[in-house]
Amino acid sequence: MREVYAVGVGITSFTRLEYPLSEIAAYPAMMALKDAGLSKVDHVYVANMAAARLNHQSGLASAVVDTLSLTPAGAEVIENGPASGASALKQGYMAIASGLHDVVLVTGAERLREVNNLEATDAVATLSHPLAEYIYGVTLPSLAAMFTRLYMQKYGVTERHLAMVAVKNHDNALLNFYAHLHEKVTLEGILDSPEAMTNNPYVAEPLRFFDCCPVSDGGACVILASAEVAKKLKKPLVRLAGVGQATDSHCVHERAEPTDLLAVRGAAAQAFKMAGVTPSDVNVAELHDAFTILEIAESEEVGFFKKGQGHLALERGETRIGGKLPINTSGGLKAKGHPVGATGVGQAHEIILQLRGEAEKRQVKDAKIGFTCNFGGFGNNVVCLVFKREN
Amino acid sequence: MALEIYAYKCRKCGQLHYPYRMVCKKCGKNDVFEFDTVPLPKNGKLLTFTTVHNLPPDFNVAKLTLGIVELENGMRVTGQLKAPSPKMGMRVTGKVEIVREAEYSKNFGFVFYPG
Repeated sequence: MREVYAVGVGITSFTRLEYPLSEIAAYPAMMALKDAGLSKVDHVYVANMAAARLNHQSGLASAVVDTLSLTPAGAEVIENGPASGASALKQGYMAIASGLHDVVLVTGAERLREVNNLEATDAVATLSHPLAEYIYGVTLPSLAAMFTRLYMQKYGVTERHLAMVAVKNHDNALLNFYAHLHEKVTLEGILDSPEAMTNNPYVAEPLRFFDCCPVSDGGACVILASAEVAKKLKKPLVRLAGVGQATDSHCVHERAEPTDLLAVRGAAAQAFKMAGVTPSDVNVAELHDAFTILEIAESEEVGFFKKGQGHLALERGETRIGGKLPINTSGGLKAKGHPVGATGVGQAHEIILQLRGEAEKRQVKDAKIGFTCNFGGFGNNVVCLVFKREN
Repeated sequence: MALEIYAYKCRKCGQLHYPYRMVCKKCGKNDVFEFDTVPLPKNGKLLTFTTVHNLPPDFNVAKLTLGIVELENGMRVTGQLKAPSPKMGMRVTGKVEIVREAEYSKNFGFVFYPG
């Protein structure tokens, strides 16, 4: 297999965007082409989950490739729920590694705020099992909440730990121009003060408002290229060194140990093996904290910390910028935002900036190896990526 | 006639499935025509639960409690919970009732009550 490099990146603000979905996908792509110094690509992958349902648009990739005047390059939409972004990057990786293409543009985009919050919640809830979960009113927050209750009982995680994730990620987002929530939060404001219940009401008990990611619009793009192309460009060399994907039972209730996220474990192990590194080699990571509990659980499942000890590492400040292993320097889904189909590409965008040394005030010093975990459904389809800085 | 919700039992190895599969998850040796349907038991204990405050537009209530129940044969199901003060591990009994209604559809499913 050929080696694959990330040569260009672009992003929109993750927020409420008042322009068409195809432009939300094309704008970061335009920025990434400029960043890479390229004007032509061989293929375009567009990661998106809900265009047909929420935005009344099908065949999004055809619109995007034409908006960018990249025709006649091939173009497809990749839909894998919230893991669409990393799935599209995986497709790009395979296209280049196999020798089929030399330059592949991977852009993710979502426009959830075209509809109201409850309709967006419903659209995402259709990821659950149609007959055994969805009909009951199951939403992603409710699955995360039931998971949290078990996690609290088994490992001693408390609402305070969850709030600490929110505080950390909101702090990081303050350093990220493109983040959705530029809002400092404190433990006092969201947990301890008499007003905390008003500031931070329950969404799905025991998860509160500040435990859940915002509903965001946004787009992000990464251009992948073969070694031959990458070495001719002037950007620092960042290699997509490991790709892993695993699935788990569709219904959460069917899992033998409901507090295990086996797809995360499997996907991460594959990605690390392929990259020839171990979790302890990682300098910076973006985990899929759609709910605060997930940052803690994933930090354990991918192998950064022992099972049941992620919240202790968080307490010790190890996952802050400046700590041993900074997690979600971008603000994470929690505060950078979660435009579902774009999220995985957005995570890769952050890691590539970190490895290039271009992450400005949130830069992790001398970051050489970065990791992303993009979590689809409630852990039923997970894609993990490992990036390495070369030269 | 009492309404039932069914598990799917593999004719080759006896493995029970809920929800259905088209191929057995244990032996992988049967096809979709080689399952027997078996009614799920109604009694069990509450494994975990949540009260949801942001419900999809089909629900005309402010909040709804959902839970995962471990039935007496060890199988687990997700369902709605009507208990004033739910506790993890409490005994519950299920009834099959309408759980979601939209303009053109009615869905039946498990609603669990204390006891």
